[in-house]
Amino acid sequence: MSDPSSINGGTAVAMVGKDCIAIASDLRLGNQSLGLANNFEKVFQFGDKTFMALTGLASDVITLKETFRLKNNLYNLREEREIEPQTLANLVSSTLYEKRFGPYFIGPIVAGLDSKTSKPFICGFDLIGCIDFAKDFIVSGTATDQLYGMCESLYEPNLEPEDLFETISQALLNAVDRDALSGWGAVVYIVTKDKVVKRTLRTRQD
Amino acid sequence: MPGLSFDNYQRNHFLTTRGYGQPTATSTGTTIVGCKFKGGVVIAADTRATAGPIVADKNCEKLHRLAPKIWCAGAGTAADTEMVTQLIASNLELHSLHQNSQPRVITALTMLKQHLFKYQGHLGAYLIVAGVDPTGAHLLSVQAHGSTDIGQYQSLGSGSLAAMAVLESHWVPDMSKEDAMKLCADAIESGIWNDLGSGSNVDLCVMEVGKDAELYRNHLTPNVRSEKARSYKFARGTTAVLRESIRDILDVEETVITFGSASVDAMEVDA
Amino acid sequence: MDIILGIRVQEGTIIAASKAATRGISILKDTDDKTRILNTHNLVAFTGESGDTVHFTEYIQANIQLHTMRENDLELSPSAVASFVRNQLATSLRSRKPYQVNVLLAGYDVKTNTPTLNWIDYLGTQTELPYGAHGYAAFYCSSLLDRHYRTDMNIDEGLKLLDDCLEELERRMPIDFKGCYIKVVDKDGVRDITK
Repeated sequence: MSDPSSINGGTAVAMVGKDCIAIASDLRLGNQSLGLANNFEKVFQFGDKTFMALTGLASDVITLKETFRLKNNLYNLREEREIEPQTLANLVSSTLYEKRFGPYFIGPIVAGLDSKTSKPFICGFDLIGCIDFAKDFIVSGTATDQLYGMCESLYEPNLEPEDLFETISQALLNAVDRDALSGWGAVVYIVTKDKVVKRTLRTRQD
Repeated sequence: MPGLSFDNYQRNHFLTTRGYGQPTATSTGTTIVGCKFKGGVVIAADTRATAGPIVADKNCEKLHRLAPKIWCAGAGTAADTEMVTQLIASNLELHSLHQNSQPRVITALTMLKQHLFKYQGHLGAYLIVAGVDPTGAHLLSVQAHGSTDIGQYQSLGSGSLAAMAVLESHWVPDMSKEDAMKLCADAIESGIWNDLGSGSNVDLCVMEVGKDAELYRNHLTPNVRSEKARSYKFARGTTAVLRESIRDILDVEETVITFGSASVDAMEVDA
Repeated sequence: MDIILGIRVQEGTIIAASKAATRGISILKDTDDKTRILNTHNLVAFTGESGDTVHFTEYIQANIQLHTMRENDLELSPSAVASFVRNQLATSLRSRKPYQVNVLLAGYDVKTNTPTLNWIDYLGTQTELPYGAHGYAAFYCSSLLDRHYRTDMNIDEGLKLLDDCLEELERRMPIDFKGCYIKVVDKDGVRDITK
């Protein structure tokens, strides 16, 4: 509780499926035990099939969301193309490491499909930009421990988009129910080659 | 802006005074080893990354390339080993281009130690540097504060004691490549089983004089997850959805227009 | 123990700010106005470290007004004002001595005809809410507002709900906060409707 990354609460998770990825977050914004808002999305879109989730200190979540929006816009203008998930991952890593001795209190996740090959890509970071490449799932936020348990047991490789949606949703929902600082709604993005589906979930409100 | 930004340092110090502690960075509570053999050198590492008591990554890469034939194994703060390694790899390539010669292991080590000394141990990188260059095969190590070591065999990280026990009891001078690989793998395995900060698989890299370096990613996999007893797939429709929005991504149609002879003719000026 | 409360209704946003200026165990003043008008359709209410609060909000006020003058009377929208204030607080947090100021921004967007209420704390946490408060008032009033707030309320209904909140605060708070200034921001601008 006496840690900047658990003042506001919040959780995110990403998973790889068969030719698809899913990325999800809860919607709570709190101040310690007091819930402030139930519409605080932590998943942000960069181009068609590239997504980033940011958990941790809400002030830094907003600051970094805007920082990366700026960097992404400049990238688009310079390169005249959309940023690849791999490229965004390296951008996040170096941006965070730049503040090695005064870090932002966040735990980012990057997930997406490569624009050319449509190969799924997910990765996570610690607060100073160490990349965690994973083939299966990445978790972040105040319900990290719970999510590791849920994902480790529920996840299986090569799920179809619709099955991946159920798996990631149930993993998130049941994890946040065991975290006092997360919950109050949830949002899931399912990204496939030719479609991005966003679903808002019905959740407990306690 | 070159270099690291200390902008948030004061803010975080302020937050500390308000009673907020620091969160934990990913650390490679690690076992890494290196061992020389006749005509070359081999380094090895486990593949576990931890964040406090949590295993953050079960199969991370701790073997970093500094140059095609100079590799290093990293222990300590994961981001620091990764970033310091990338920086030195860049500078080493520029240096070798400038000098018009193959990069040397001692050069890499000197660059690393000068960089780490500058940061007075605040960059938590503990590295075993090994490789082959025009002066032969080398095995060196550098610690976060900038001190360095040379040796026939070395180990670093939280599992270094377990690994060194194996190295001390089985190392002999002028080993064969195969024996050195086996020794390193055994030393890492000892870390995997006996050290809580180390686990999962063994990565290995062999650098032999006159040959390309060989990376054996997941050389040993003694911790393969067994097949799940059953599937935990949920029936579709289990999760209640409040709202749904779909964004179809259309393929861009591309039409190639070949220039007609008329327009080309109109442009001919020199003819 | 200062109180600032905000409720967004159909035609505008209502702000209540306690009149008491306290320092230690004494009430120094019972006519302290903890709000500042930023431009015709934006009002800020503040709590926090005394000294910091007035200095910060008047700095914000001056800059917003300067913007209005420079841009030929084109006024910043509520969301732009909120972004500006948040950015100032987030930047200040990284300095040697950060401003310890929490604010509520009541605004009315004249382009889209929508009222807004922005909640921002000294860390630079920003969120747009239907109703909100800083400090202890939030603990006393949140449940009341959760139960009785409706999205289709008009100003009078909003004021009635606000009165209920203030009654609860007067009943439960251990100190006398000397009543509240009540202000409304709507299409006609900012007006004081303190009883």
